[in-house]
Amino acid sequence: MLPSGVLCKSTTAALTAGLDRIPDQLGYLVISEDGVLASAGELENDEHTAGVMMEMVRTASRFRLQGSADPPFKRMSVILEDFVYTVTVSGQKVFVVKRQNNQQEPISI
Amino acid sequence: MESTLEQHLDDTMKNPAVVGVLCTDQQGHNLGCRGSLSDEHGGVVSVLAKQAAALTRDPTDNPTVCLESESGNILIRSHGTITVAVHKIAS
Amino acid sequence: MGCCYSSESENTEQDPERKRLIPNPNPVSKPPNGTDWITTSVPSARTDEQALLTSILHKTAQNIIDVSAADSVMMEQHEYMDKARQYSTKLAMSNSLSQKKALTLPSLTSQPHQVLASDLVPYSDVQQVSKIAAYAYSAISQIKVDAKEELVVQFAIP
Repeated sequence: MLPSGVLCKSTTAALTAGLDRIPDQLGYLVISEDGVLASAGELENDEHTAGVMMEMVRTASRFRLQGSADPPFKRMSVILEDFVYTVTVSGQKVFVVKRQNNQQEPISI
Repeated sequence: MESTLEQHLDDTMKNPAVVGVLCTDQQGHNLGCRGSLSDEHGGVVSVLAKQAAALTRDPTDNPTVCLESESGNILIRSHGTITVAVHKIAS
Repeated sequence: MGCCYSSESENTEQDPERKRLIPNPNPVSKPPNGTDWITTSVPSARTDEQALLTSILHKTAQNIIDVSAADSVMMEQHEYMDKARQYSTKLAMSNSLSQKKALTLPSLTSQPHQVLASDLVPYSDVQQVSKIAAYAYSAISQIKVDAKEELVVQFAIP
């Protein structure tokens, strides 16, 4: 959902293309400094999660290992019992994908 | 009792994939650290754990935060009043 | 910076930043102040109607920007480009200060979709850090831990 008419359809499509093809994805968010640019699935219009993720990205980007000028990660994951938020930043935009966490479930035969 | 924690941190570092470990309280005060993780990381580690807790309404669903790269991962997890970070390199 | 005619003082004329984009079509004229026109007008001998009309015309001319005349003495293209570049540089400098906050997000990857789609963190690693946290908490809480299982466990990492 677009909060405003700032982005034209093709721009949004370029941002989100492929996000819905990520394995076990339940929803996604694309966030900029100005707010949510795109959202879908379980994260549709989820301003709360968008806000927390933005804060976490800001916090995590302060993390530096000795002798390195860059943050030591390409992706941040928040692993919960049933799902995982995978987060990355590219071109001043934060991408959040909520993925099903089915690794820990006992294999049912 | 502090030596118990120190012993635990030393034991953790014995895992060949682990290159750093840190233990902090809720305020980011460093309770102990080894290897690649040091005093300066306590603040970020405790804040990240706190922020991640806001992503779930279930207080028993304890989140693990992972900062991932090709060379290795930094895993952050709270238990009660403390938070630990473990730096594991990819093998 | 201001617009073309916003500044009239002499010393700012020297400042390239304040130099008018459109040159004053009446370079000898002064801003009207209500008395100037009498002294700058006509010789006192010509007190006829023609002289009065001339002075009125003169005064009116001072208050008019003749756009057609200005057009004919327009700046050269390269001068205009120089000004444009100069102003945009100044703008960029002041904007960069206000936009500094917006640029605090690091770029972690150029391929966000691929990074997000790659395999999740092995569950064994999550279990391991959970265990380390639990032991650490026990140690801090002064609870005697009777460690029955091996603390250091090798996980098969794919």
